[in-house]
Amino acid sequence: MNNLSIPQSLTLMNVMATLSLKADAQRYFFGYLWWILEPLLWVGVFYLVFEVLLGTGRADFLVFLAVGKLTFIWFSKSVSQSANSLLGSRGLIGKMDAPKWLFPLAVCHEGLYKQVAVFALLIVMLLYEGYAPSAAWLWLVPLAITQYLLIVGCGMLAALLVCMRQDFQLLVQLGMVFLLFMSGIFWDIDSIGNAALRENLLLVNPLASLIDLYRTVLMDGSAPLLTQWLTVLVESVVILAVLVWAYRALHYWIARRVVTQ
Amino acid sequence: MSALLTLENVGMQFAVRPDHESGQHTVFEGINLILNEGDRLGIVGRNGAGKSTLLRIMAKIYAPATGSVIWAPGVTVSLLSLGLGFKNELTGRDNAYLAGLLQGLTKNAAKQCLVSIEAFCELGDYFDEPVKTYSAGMRARLGFATALLNNASVLLIDEVLSVGDKEFREKAKLALEDQFSDRRAIVLVSHTDAQINNLCDSAIFLESAGIAAEGEAGLVVAEYANR
Repeated sequence: MNNLSIPQSLTLMNVMATLSLKADAQRYFFGYLWWILEPLLWVGVFYLVFEVLLGTGRADFLVFLAVGKLTFIWFSKSVSQSANSLLGSRGLIGKMDAPKWLFPLAVCHEGLYKQVAVFALLIVMLLYEGYAPSAAWLWLVPLAITQYLLIVGCGMLAALLVCMRQDFQLLVQLGMVFLLFMSGIFWDIDSIGNAALRENLLLVNPLASLIDLYRTVLMDGSAPLLTQWLTVLVESVVILAVLVWAYRALHYWIARRVVTQ
Repeated sequence: MSALLTLENVGMQFAVRPDHESGQHTVFEGINLILNEGDRLGIVGRNGAGKSTLLRIMAKIYAPATGSVIWAPGVTVSLLSLGLGFKNELTGRDNAYLAGLLQGLTKNAAKQCLVSIEAFCELGDYFDEPVKTYSAGMRARLGFATALLNNASVLLIDEVLSVGDKEFREKAKLALEDQFSDRRAIVLVSHTDAQINNLCDSAIFLESAGIAAEGEAGLVVAEYANR
């Protein structure tokens, strides 16, 4: 369908992501430090409100919040930034027949590089707070891969929707706020008394399920519930597969839409 | 003489307003065109006649609304235009590297091209500054140099010689003439009659109804000038 092979496209995507990271770092005084500084500040703001002002009563609230918030920010920032990736690449899309998934994927990949540093920070925080390293922590890798697949699928969806109607840009932002409240970031999913409601929430919101799994692995030091993880994995793969199919089917439509908007 | 690219009854429509699918504007219709090995084809026409759109269809960027486009096996096509193909936050060097990869070069080949691009652009230290700090002329220099980073067999050129200062235009013209000997076929869109006359053997005059005139470049340009 286009002049670039899949390996060429993936190389290009990686270069786009790394060049963008470099340009980003050069723009700010604190440069690469913002990769961990920004998420830390977010955790600080939430800690101030929910622990210092409101008082949650959880002894482990800082770590509980950090695990939820640091993984949520990865999702929300990547998907929000992906939303404009097609329209923002109007010049390139109008000049060459590149695969259109390249553009949201490059944005998501940029987020992946940053998240590696954030996960390292999270591990340091866990150790500092007295959590003993556990073999279950190795589950961080498959869980992170699962979340990456979910992010790419949702990022591609957001970019496509914004390409259809720019109004979706506003809805994506609203959706992220909705997910912030619905994913158990500063409250515990287990606190929902109704078991059926809890299960349904985890089913329809894979992000909430993932955050719950991260906490099981990192804070409890236990292996995750396999069925819960596999459900999220299947959901993420299905979303991604549908979007890859849609991008292939709408290849020319996307180009025309992006250039003429 | 073998056909590299064949357009059969090609038409194109766009939504009148991008927000509404209903209300289609016909850009052109019924285009029949064969691009043969060795052709140097010029395209002339007024603004809005669909010249750039036609090039995008030839470059596989758009699919035509009607009709079909057939590329001969192994034919690669590249569109050379000076649109906003740059990422503003990246330096000229990084943009040039990215442009090389986008046009199918390997990482090493793209890096090797940077030396000649830097020399051609004559941007000096600005080559390592973000493109957002460039003037229009500097962007044009970088755009022209990076656009030729490919080995496509068919080169489609969209109005690239009308930018930059006089000295740069002369340099770009010479670089482009070099390209004419390396490619299997060339299509040139230009508003400058002399360019079509000098660089092309044949030409078409495009209007919304389709091709208004076609044939020897000088005759078509004269027909266009008389309308």
